[in-house]
Amino acid sequence: MRFSKWLCAVGVAFICIANGAGTALAQGSKTLRVPYLEDPKTADCQTQTISYLLPLNCFDRLVECITVGPGESKIVPGLAERWEISDDGRVYTFYLRKGVFFHHGKELTADDVVYTFDRMLDPNTKALNTDILDWVEGAKERMDGKAIYTKGLEALDRYTVQITLRGPYAPFLAVMASPQASIYNREFTIKSGSRFGLTPETTSGTGPFVMKEYVLNDHLLLVANEGYYRGRPQLDEILVRITPDPETLRMLFEAGEIDIFDCDYAVSQIPYFTNHPRWKDYVASSPRVGIYYYSINQRIKPFDDVRVRKALQMAIDRKLILDELFYGKGHLENGIMPRGLICHNPDLPVIEYDPEKAKALLAQAGYPDGVEMEIAQVSGARQWLRINEVVQAMLREAGFKAHIQQMDEAAFYATRSAGDLPSYVQVWSADFNDPDNFFYTFFAPRNTVARSFNYESQEVFDALEKGRSLSDQGERCELYRKLEQVIVQRDAAWVPLFSLEHVYVLQPRVKNFVAPWNGWSDMSYYDIHLED
Amino acid sequence: MAKRLLATVPVLIGVSILIFVMLNIIPGDPVTVMMKERISPDVVEKVKAQMGLDDPLIVRYFRFIGGALRGDFGLSYKLNRPVSQLIIQAFPNTLALALAAALVSWLIGIPAGVLSALKPNTIVDRVFMGFSVAGISMPIFWSALLMQYLFALKLGWLPVSGFYGVKYLLMPALALGWSAAGIIARLSRSSLLDVMQKDYIRTARAKGLSEVQVIICHALKNALLPVVTVMAIQVASFLSGAVITESVFGIPGLGRLAIDAIRTRDMPLLEGSVLFATFLVVMGNAVADILYSTLDPRIRYGR
Repeated sequence: MRFSKWLCAVGVAFICIANGAGTALAQGSKTLRVPYLEDPKTADCQTQTISYLLPLNCFDRLVECITVGPGESKIVPGLAERWEISDDGRVYTFYLRKGVFFHHGKELTADDVVYTFDRMLDPNTKALNTDILDWVEGAKERMDGKAIYTKGLEALDRYTVQITLRGPYAPFLAVMASPQASIYNREFTIKSGSRFGLTPETTSGTGPFVMKEYVLNDHLLLVANEGYYRGRPQLDEILVRITPDPETLRMLFEAGEIDIFDCDYAVSQIPYFTNHPRWKDYVASSPRVGIYYYSINQRIKPFDDVRVRKALQMAIDRKLILDELFYGKGHLENGIMPRGLICHNPDLPVIEYDPEKAKALLAQAGYPDGVEMEIAQVSGARQWLRINEVVQAMLREAGFKAHIQQMDEAAFYATRSAGDLPSYVQVWSADFNDPDNFFYTFFAPRNTVARSFNYESQEVFDALEKGRSLSDQGERCELYRKLEQVIVQRDAAWVPLFSLEHVYVLQPRVKNFVAPWNGWSDMSYYDIHLED
Repeated sequence: MAKRLLATVPVLIGVSILIFVMLNIIPGDPVTVMMKERISPDVVEKVKAQMGLDDPLIVRYFRFIGGALRGDFGLSYKLNRPVSQLIIQAFPNTLALALAAALVSWLIGIPAGVLSALKPNTIVDRVFMGFSVAGISMPIFWSALLMQYLFALKLGWLPVSGFYGVKYLLMPALALGWSAAGIIARLSRSSLLDVMQKDYIRTARAKGLSEVQVIICHALKNALLPVVTVMAIQVASFLSGAVITESVFGIPGLGRLAIDAIRTRDMPLLEGSVLFATFLVVMGNAVADILYSTLDPRIRYGR
């Protein structure tokens, strides 16, 4: 029969294609298999702000911020074995380690460091992380295309780099430890051009792992860097499997096909894992230096009135959310600096849950019958919808009739950067351990608009600038603690919720897993080893 | 055939304009969504200007179409790779999935439809048609999840997800194919029932042919005509992206590229993948027409 012959032909064709499509997954016994929800897109951390997986495993920085205890961090020497900071806080001199080699075999020199940071500022790079070098002298001219080099970057000799800032900027050393400050090789990076970081052939760093395979939206294979300066990693390989569906991811873990499961992907499964006889001994958790919060847009009435904002702060039963939705795995926060961040203030006045008082405040403000409000969120984002639905019900008790407005991701972020987004719930985890990373991010003149706070306070703007330039840590902490009270307690411009623990479940063979201090899902896998 | 190819040109132009306009009407820009929580207004402004996103709509459209005419769809904003390369890499995966799913849908759908038609309104008919309706009605993400749970987690027969050979293709093909099998089964049933009432079937029986011969040589040949059309169109629609199946099973195919492009307002990638999919659908229709006229000599096109 003609039809069945045709079917046969199609069948054979498909088997050929199916065998050819997709690459086989080679796995050894020392291969750590980790999942990843979205493709990291590139190993070049200058041109993306989302994924730190590749920068943390394939690259190094001048200094590193390591985890020294649960939620505690310390800055230690990295590619620079030591450094000096001038008395006026403007000149940073880094002395590089000798004999550190890039994956393609070239030795690291001071010129590579100068090149790396200059490349970030070069307008042709279209870098997204130029903020971290804002304070370098001549950065602005370089970014605007008015200079062909950056004045503040200089290689004094083969192993000495000097970075001059346009003014003292206290967090600079911490910033140098952030993944965005990863160091590249001049020659190799120039040769790779716009393909740098996109393929194994065009990626080279000094880090503990070398990129060997990269199939977009499918998987990445990193192999141990035999000549790593801190010693070869114990793992032979890291297999990163891109799996966009969180449910699938959980099944992959339970079927033993991946080694680490990040419970951020399925918070509702935490009790399942912590009570399951097979998994309960393999749950790792750590505090994270990050804070969950609700934003308030002061451009949207009636939130221009501080009494309404205070009422909103009081109308949310944070304890209940923490206990019911997050199984009590965290702490309430009453400010902006969560625990673990330097300058964190444990003695802040507690924001009490009090719907009656909130109602009274609304009445005082001229809304005895309550007010309507919007809560925005990215559509389909379950982790936010769970919180928003609970909060919506709580707010009703206090006279806020909240509507949850779901929008797609791009619309959400565009509306927000125009300053028009209503209240939303989010979490911010520290990129570097400094209050500046929290305060400046949310309350600097342009940022307060771009994050739809619209909290225009000259007092705050001035304090932010002052905080950046002070070098005495005690003095800085005092300033930020005062500022925190002004923003949260006096002006009620921010609704702090809580900081959560980061919970992971591991396959029994995973040893020496240390959750990163800041609570990122991305981490360096250098210290991990596997036992069978 | 040449005529049909030519006829796709206005369709493609229309689609390209439509996508362009729609993507620019909805709020959102690629740079803010690329930066997400780590947004910096200064950087957004600079990078948008560097990418030429501040230029007027019409300028951007002609810049794109100018490149597209020379076969250059440009670089994806977010992935920073040539759009044509991304499509070429993703297509074989989608093709394998589409063919496997089509195979599943035919192997289940046609026999089910035929058996139902031969025993209309019996328990056999009810069971097969119930199965078909379930396939059509059940969302793929749900049936996929059930299959993963059963075949991978409980029984351990198949891998949960990924795409590294035939073994990995079975579940996605079954999930996607089942939903299409329902349609095929229902269509072949009604079509066969219809044909069985025809005069030539009575003639065939009168000639003394066995029931099997009647069904296979006379009834089925005619009954499958409309089914073949639907089959060709289905394959085209599988090819243009089975987004959910690809996501659940982690298959790096065209559907995921396109959906990511919409999510991130990645104009070049979206234009490229949608134009490619449009082309496939138009071609699928053309193939259906040609098959139809080959199978049924009474139908002729373009004469």
